[in-house]
Order: sequence, then structure tokens, then C-alpha cells
Amino acid sequence: MDSNWASEQLQTIRTIMERSAVYRRALAPLMLSTGLIGLAAATLPQFVPIRTNRAFAIYWMAVGVIALLATLLLVRRQAWREDEQFWSPPTRRVTEALLAPFIGGFAVAVFLILYGQKFESLAWVAASIWVILYGCALNAAGFFTLRGFGLFGRILVLLGCGLFLVTPAVPGDVPIAAHLAMGMFFGLGQMAYGIYLYFTERKRRA
Amino acid sequence: MNPEPFLNLDRVIHEKGRLAIMSLLAASPEMSFRDIRDTLKMTDGNVTAHLRTLHESGYVAFTKSMEAGRGVTTYALTSTGRKSFTAYLDLLEDIVSQTRRK
Repeated sequence: MDSNWASEQLQTIRTIMERSAVYRRALAPLMLSTGLIGLAAATLPQFVPIRTNRAFAIYWMAVGVIALLATLLLVRRQAWREDEQFWSPPTRRVTEALLAPFIGGFAVAVFLILYGQKFESLAWVAASIWVILYGCALNAAGFFTLRGFGLFGRILVLLGCGLFLVTPAVPGDVPIAAHLAMGMFFGLGQMAYGIYLYFTERKRRA
Repeated sequence: MNPEPFLNLDRVIHEKGRLAIMSLLAASPEMSFRDIRDTLKMTDGNVTAHLRTLHESGYVAFTKSMEAGRGVTTYALTSTGRKSFTAYLDLLEDIVSQTRRK
């Protein structure tokens, strides 16, 4: 036995501990796919009229479901390729971290569907709350991931608060502006972060 | 090189399979038998034998519960287990740093 053996032993322990605690799937494809879906979803209402608060909520809930399914498929494919279990302990922890803010976001959508007609600017308010909640979700999931998920989440929370505070100043067609805000944060924001991850993750794995 | 740290390595933890289980449990609050087996890709018999040894040494505690009508056994490190694992890591780090100093 020598010090090389001790170093290798420590490295093995570190790897196993990471496997148990840290979500190690490549995050870049997940961010890029959800970003692409967000961007496409924000572009469509510029041509197809989705103007009421209720339609806005139903539309973005459907987009959320599609993005979620795409993410699940990508995660499953990655797990299958690496011959690892899909519902691993880190995956469960990340899901649990995401769940509470997602339930909050769902409640906001339900409120918009039920009472959307009674208030103006509600689509904008909902968009800003969704950005804040999504930021909270990523921040919570960031404790179980390798990359700067937490930081990205905190940035989203701050920007979402900014969106919320400028609600009285939103001009013109509120749902159209809200669609653009959704595209900006859930589309462009995630794609930019996905591109950053694409290069940094590849470097880390090399 | 001073051989003393090697002699002080905990024999229970030192075995490859048990070290892997201790490392997993050190990074998680608790883990089910199935998760341990699947993560480490070990056989049922292997995991059972190692967990029994760790339990008999007081390093691992288990709880049994029911989930969806099925019995689930969940394992976690005891405080003794955590202390022994930390001491094991400290010894390994000592060995590495001894060489670096030379």
C-alpha cells in the first residue's frame, strides 16, 4: 500500500459520494430544449390570438407540460445510455426541490383561469410570479447539482421581482407583453444558460 | 514512509464493498436497500452481507416501513459510523499529505 493507493481510494470515495448526493446528468440539453420550447411558445402568440388571461394561463400550462415531458424523456435517455437508474436518489431530491414552487406556479395558473376576467394586467403579474417561482425552484435544485443552477435561479428571482414591480408601467396589450416576458425568461434566458452549460460541461467531462 | 496510518485503517470500513456503502450513506441522509444495490450495481447477497457487518459494528442503523403495500428497509449511518468514516478519511489524507511533504 502506498500514497497513490490512498489518493485513488479518496477519489473513489469522492465519486461514490457525488453519485449519491449530486445530480450528475448533463444539464445543457435540458436547458436548451426547454429554452427552445419557451422561445417557440412565445413566438406563436404574435401570430395566433391568445389574448385573454384565461387563454394565456391555459396556453402556458400546456407549454409547461410539453417542456416537462421533453425534460423527462431527455433525463431517461441519459440514464439509459449510462446504464443508471432513472429514478435515482439525486433525481428524487432534485424533483422534490422543484415540486413546491411548481405547485405554487400551478395555483397561480388556476387562479388566472378562474378569475382572470376580473382583473387587468393579471397575465403580466402571473408571468412575473412564474419567473420568481421558477427561480426559487432552480435555486432549491441547485443544492443537488454540480453547475451554477442555484445562481441562475437567484438571478431569475431578482429579475422576476423586477418584472413584478414594473407591472403598473406595462403599456398596451398586456397578454402580448406577458408572452414576450415569458419568451425572454423561459426562452432566451434558459437557452443562454444552456449554451453556457454546453461548453462548460463538455470541458468538465473532457 | 511511516506504516502506522495503514495499520490504523478501520478493517470494517476498509473492505471495498463496505467502503462504497459507507461513502453512499455518508452523502445521503438515508437510502433504501434497493437504491444502495442499484447505485453500486451489487448483488442482493453482497449488499446484505456488507450491511449486516456494518450493522453489527454499529456503523449503520436501519428502519423498516411500508410503501405502497411493500416493505422497505432504509439504512443510515449512525453517529459512530460517521465518526469512524471521518477518521478513515483523515487517515487516508494523512497518508497522502505525508508523501507530498517529502
